[in-house]
Amino acid sequence: MDVNIILDGLWTALQPANLLWLLLGAVLGTIVGILPGLGAATGVAVLIPLTFGMEPVSALILMAAIYYGALFGGSRSSILINTPGDGSSIAATFDGYPMTKKGLAGQAMSIAAMASLIGGVMAIFGFIFLAIPLANFALNFGPAEFLLLFLFALSAVVTLSQGNIIKGFLTMFLGLGISTIGVDLQSGVHRFTFGLPHLTDGINFIVIIIGIYAIGEVLYNLLKPQYSGKSNGQDIGSKWFTKEQWKRSLAPIIRSGPIGFFLGVLPGSGGTIASLLSYSTEKQISKNKDEFGKGAVEGLVAPESANSASAVGSLIPMLTMGIPGSGTTAVMLGALVMIGITPGPLLFENSPDTIWTLINSMFIGNIILVIINILMVGMLVKILKTPPNVLYPIVLILSFLGAYTLGYSTIDFYILIIAGVIGLLMRILNYPVVPLILALIVGGDMEQNFQRAMIVYDSPMDILFASPIAIVLALLTVLSLCYPLIAKVFKRRKAVK
Amino acid sequence: MQVAIRYAMPVMFIIGSVIYGTMIIQLDPATLGNPDGPKFFPLFVCAGLLVFSIADLVNVRKQIYAKNKDLELIAQLKSFKLIAIIIGICVIYTLIFEHVGYLIATILFMGALMFYLNGMKKWLLNVVVTLVVSVSTWYGFTELLQISLP
Repeated sequence: MDVNIILDGLWTALQPANLLWLLLGAVLGTIVGILPGLGAATGVAVLIPLTFGMEPVSALILMAAIYYGALFGGSRSSILINTPGDGSSIAATFDGYPMTKKGLAGQAMSIAAMASLIGGVMAIFGFIFLAIPLANFALNFGPAEFLLLFLFALSAVVTLSQGNIIKGFLTMFLGLGISTIGVDLQSGVHRFTFGLPHLTDGINFIVIIIGIYAIGEVLYNLLKPQYSGKSNGQDIGSKWFTKEQWKRSLAPIIRSGPIGFFLGVLPGSGGTIASLLSYSTEKQISKNKDEFGKGAVEGLVAPESANSASAVGSLIPMLTMGIPGSGTTAVMLGALVMIGITPGPLLFENSPDTIWTLINSMFIGNIILVIINILMVGMLVKILKTPPNVLYPIVLILSFLGAYTLGYSTIDFYILIIAGVIGLLMRILNYPVVPLILALIVGGDMEQNFQRAMIVYDSPMDILFASPIAIVLALLTVLSLCYPLIAKVFKRRKAVK
Repeated sequence: MQVAIRYAMPVMFIIGSVIYGTMIIQLDPATLGNPDGPKFFPLFVCAGLLVFSIADLVNVRKQIYAKNKDLELIAQLKSFKLIAIIIGICVIYTLIFEHVGYLIATILFMGALMFYLNGMKKWLLNVVVTLVVSVSTWYGFTELLQISLP
């Protein structure tokens, strides 16, 4: 590796104009990320016109900054008002919002930002040393491997609902069922669309997420007896996390970074699976597993680190092979081609300066984002001081707006309202939401890969032994499903001793 | 009432999976490849949904009198009324959204919610918040983000 090229990249990234684009992208991305429904993909898409006429490198820097700025922003609304900006910030609600309820919103946001920084930086190093070999490794993933990867992710998440495994499976199947709405891509058959053209492409999972979390949360809070319509004057706590919190967070952050990075490299897996899997892994191995869901700092930092790392990882297949791994990278790919950068294996040989400038700008951008996000903590937590009877109507309006921008149809409003009521019932009756959401996200791809795998292989058993990767993933799935049982047996033995 | 709500979810899932199964059988056959190809995955999902909803129903029966504070809350008449009114306002918003446009629909929606939650006494706060939120979101989305709204 030529050190001079890296230093040249650093020098270009540090040029005042590029720093300005980086800062602008980070701020705009954070703002867009905070708004429900407007994730990184929408953020990059609506801000593409800004890149017209720019130097290609500056445009790439701006788009990447918007991308990870939106990821940082998405978790802010998850932590503060239990409303994830998009799928990848769902996991931040599990322990981030309970921390807010405990009066630790400031600490939750600052440590989440730090986790994102470390996860992102780890992934940048992964990018530097492993981009090409990993891109080649990802090419080994065929339909069988993807099917098993999705099965593993689902099984890991269902086991999250410990004590509620039946309900976990039930909501998982509900999510898979909803994902079958729309045209079957293999055969072109319309399924469960009720003659509505809007449902041809299926139901957008973000609408369901916004409905379950935002609308469900508003309805739930309005029902509470302590609801008085006045601000609860919730203490926001310190802006800075404590030594104790940092001590508890470091190992989960370091463990989750690589998980997010490797999953990010695989086209189609993305930040949602990365963050949920890292949460599930952390919950299973943590000493404080009983605190998960009640404001455990490990449960917040692990998915944040994985999500940030996955964003960097997802740039690898896009830049090295021209394969977009997520909606956001697909939008970025289109924009890059438009401004004259052709992604592919030759990009690293022909334009190393572009790649190294991008890598260095990602590093600087992550640091800038942490500073911005920590500076914004004081301003953002003021949201908590807003009286609920003013905040809730605003949350409802932003939810409807977010849903509308996804499909430009009021059919999504009906879906939003139904999802809100279901979310309220699920919350009251203790049905886990995460298996539903993950199943909804991966369901379509899972079915496509299942159908493709059934064409390639003669029987489902052949799928399990399709390749060494498939065998490992099948074993992990079985292990993950058996984990609660194994853990119970070990616990009993320990108690007997 | 609480017992009925507890049973509502698994029963809804069972009825839902039966309807879903019937719809799968009625699906058009594929003209390419296996004619039943589009049915395989939904059938697997339907079977899973049915099996686990029955298991859930059995579970609910076992724990029918388990304490649940949230459930006690929702089972009250005033809670039902509150949810029905909020949902009603949301449905009316949906119905008028494309006909009267974002700005007017949102002003009416926000106004209705604000007056319902705060009462008439705080009319000034209600009016100011309604106008500021409606106009600023409209401006932010249509002018700054260039997202077209009706």
